[in-house]
Amino acid sequence: MLDLARAHARGETGSPLAGKTVCLAFFEASTRTAVSFELAARRCGADVISLSEKGSAMAKGESLIDTVVTLDRLGADAIVLRHPAVGAATFAARHTGAAVVNAGDGCGQHPTQALLDLYALSEASGGFDELTGRRVAIVGDVLHSRVARSVIPAFRATGMEVALVAPRTLLPQDSGAWRLPILSTVDEALLWGASVLYMLRLQNERMSGARIPSVAEYARFYGVSRWHLGDGVLVMHPGPVNRGVEISGEVVLDGSSLIPHQVAAGVHVRSAVLALATGAAHEVAA
Amino acid sequence: MNGRDGTPAELVIRQAYVIDPTKGLDRIADVRIREGRVAEIGDGLRGTRELDADGLHLFPGFVDVHAHWRTPGREDEESVESGSASAAAGGFTGVVMMPNTDPVVDRPVVVSGLVRRVEKESRVRAYVSAALHAGLNGERLTEMRLLKEAGAFCVSDDGLGTASAGVLRNGMLYARSAGLPVILHCEDHTLATGVVHDGVHAALAGVPGSPASAEDAATATALVLAAETGAKVHITHVSTALSAALVGFFKGRADVSADTTPHHLTLTDGLVATLDGMYRVNPPLRPEKDRGGVIQALRDGILDFVATDHAPHASEEKELPFEEAAPGFLGHETAFAALYTELVLGGGLSLSRLVQAMSCSSGRWVGEGGRISAGEPADLALVDLSERWTVGRETLLSQSSNSPYLGRRLTSRVVGTIVGGHLVHDRTGAKLGVRA
Repeated sequence: MLDLARAHARGETGSPLAGKTVCLAFFEASTRTAVSFELAARRCGADVISLSEKGSAMAKGESLIDTVVTLDRLGADAIVLRHPAVGAATFAARHTGAAVVNAGDGCGQHPTQALLDLYALSEASGGFDELTGRRVAIVGDVLHSRVARSVIPAFRATGMEVALVAPRTLLPQDSGAWRLPILSTVDEALLWGASVLYMLRLQNERMSGARIPSVAEYARFYGVSRWHLGDGVLVMHPGPVNRGVEISGEVVLDGSSLIPHQVAAGVHVRSAVLALATGAAHEVAA
Repeated sequence: MNGRDGTPAELVIRQAYVIDPTKGLDRIADVRIREGRVAEIGDGLRGTRELDADGLHLFPGFVDVHAHWRTPGREDEESVESGSASAAAGGFTGVVMMPNTDPVVDRPVVVSGLVRRVEKESRVRAYVSAALHAGLNGERLTEMRLLKEAGAFCVSDDGLGTASAGVLRNGMLYARSAGLPVILHCEDHTLATGVVHDGVHAALAGVPGSPASAEDAATATALVLAAETGAKVHITHVSTALSAALVGFFKGRADVSADTTPHHLTLTDGLVATLDGMYRVNPPLRPEKDRGGVIQALRDGILDFVATDHAPHASEEKELPFEEAAPGFLGHETAFAALYTELVLGGGLSLSRLVQAMSCSSGRWVGEGGRISAGEPADLALVDLSERWTVGRETLLSQSSNSPYLGRRLTSRVVGTIVGGHLVHDRTGAKLGVRA
């Protein structure tokens, strides 16, 4: 998948989706994911239809099942689905013959984010094989993060060691589910030997109230600042960033930040995903 | 009761294997039914009308203390007619209907309306549970004495629970004065913020979880109040090992009984991984260690009986992503078969304890049925323990089809259900033919 993404990045793939219809169904706000899927589909030559909850019959109360069946009948080859309910993509896939690409389902999964993270990190590390044995700390609201649920297995698949860094209120009740070490501050993560800090977004609605006492305390213990950097530590974030909360403003554009590379990788990786999901590409380019 | 026309005044069920643990009855025998009651149990009985039940088992009819027949308000999902047909198909001869309908069963006129519908439409004995508080809002107590006069059998907060311990305590005290038992749904909504058990599968799938403490803390509160108020309290759908242990602690300290469901005894939260809204239920399916704890408690009698929490839902309420799906499963038609298949054949529960937990104990709780004894009402379930069948939409008599066992192959099936001498569910003809 990542090799194919590299071929897309080099512009070697032509228009594998010519004549195919890709439907972007985003029933939840999205900037980078929606834009990069759209760019990916267009660069691959697909016809693109965009639906959003506001502009579609979903706003009139049409159920997800009927929306999916309608798109299927209209001839969509791929449906890229972003939905606030976990399992929405799995559910949609049961009711259509089109390829369903999960662009984020509630607190469930965000698989293309994990793939583009692997792409960006392996590019920055001198290749996929260089990732083995590196230590990555995933910092922040693991409990509500679909990104965490996708990057944890993705990082582990490369042979990286993963630790979670979060207050217990932002971890699942059974935080042993992944059998990962749980650390309690970013400083502790660096002592543990993290060479990648993967910062999760603190969602607005959870910034105050019962789960964390204050943004200031969160930023102090679970945010990354300039003094955390050095020794080649890389910082990643799926976006959008709350500057001064998870990441201080100066770190976002620091040389150790992979954030711009993550965004750039999105189009290449999603091109590869669409090509593979629709059967337009069967084999990885040599 | 709406019996079938032509039900004979006398019937002899011959050569069935009869089990009634309360009477120590556990052998092949003939049972004579006359004028709605068991007249005689013996050998070599003959009658004007006989049913040859050789190879079948005869149990006291099952009694389900927890069912939602969605009447009034959602008769598209279940009606008294369809709910009672579904119950009869599962061998149930008595059912308690929960009050979280639309409107809520919180006024005498709703109770009397339901009682009339039961008289007209129900194939089985059906008991009305009225609401413990008005609108099930957890604020004002219902007029329990008037509800009782109108025909309510008990009161309950099922579906939601009671948020305030103060209201719950007053509800228990008042119910005790009114002479009504209280069925409690124990759930603390400040803890129960998710839709599945907060465990490994919730964490991995990202489905919002509710911790087991949501049930355990509410159960503990209810038990403490039951002990203090002296009310007759029944804790329904116990699903965790800790809640079962708490019930055990309070046996003898309070007038308390408890049930668990066929699904909590046979299924686990591993099904969350399917992300299929079908498997959403409240209380949620639990991990194996809780299932084991609940089975153990049922075996030991700490949990007195099984109740199904039969909860029909229209397909548009179930064919949704997990978080959006309505919680609840059908229960009547698969209860005995699922438990016999998984726990009796699978090991872990004796057949006689299962019969006790589905018939005798729950029958004693409602004060009717649950026994095969001369002079008692002829409420009976005739079961073929060897029949293998696959649960399918077409096998279900319920108006809904949200069974978590759809597609599963089960062993044992109800062949006939008799209520007050009337054959209200009858597969005997297809099975062996009734000989006049």
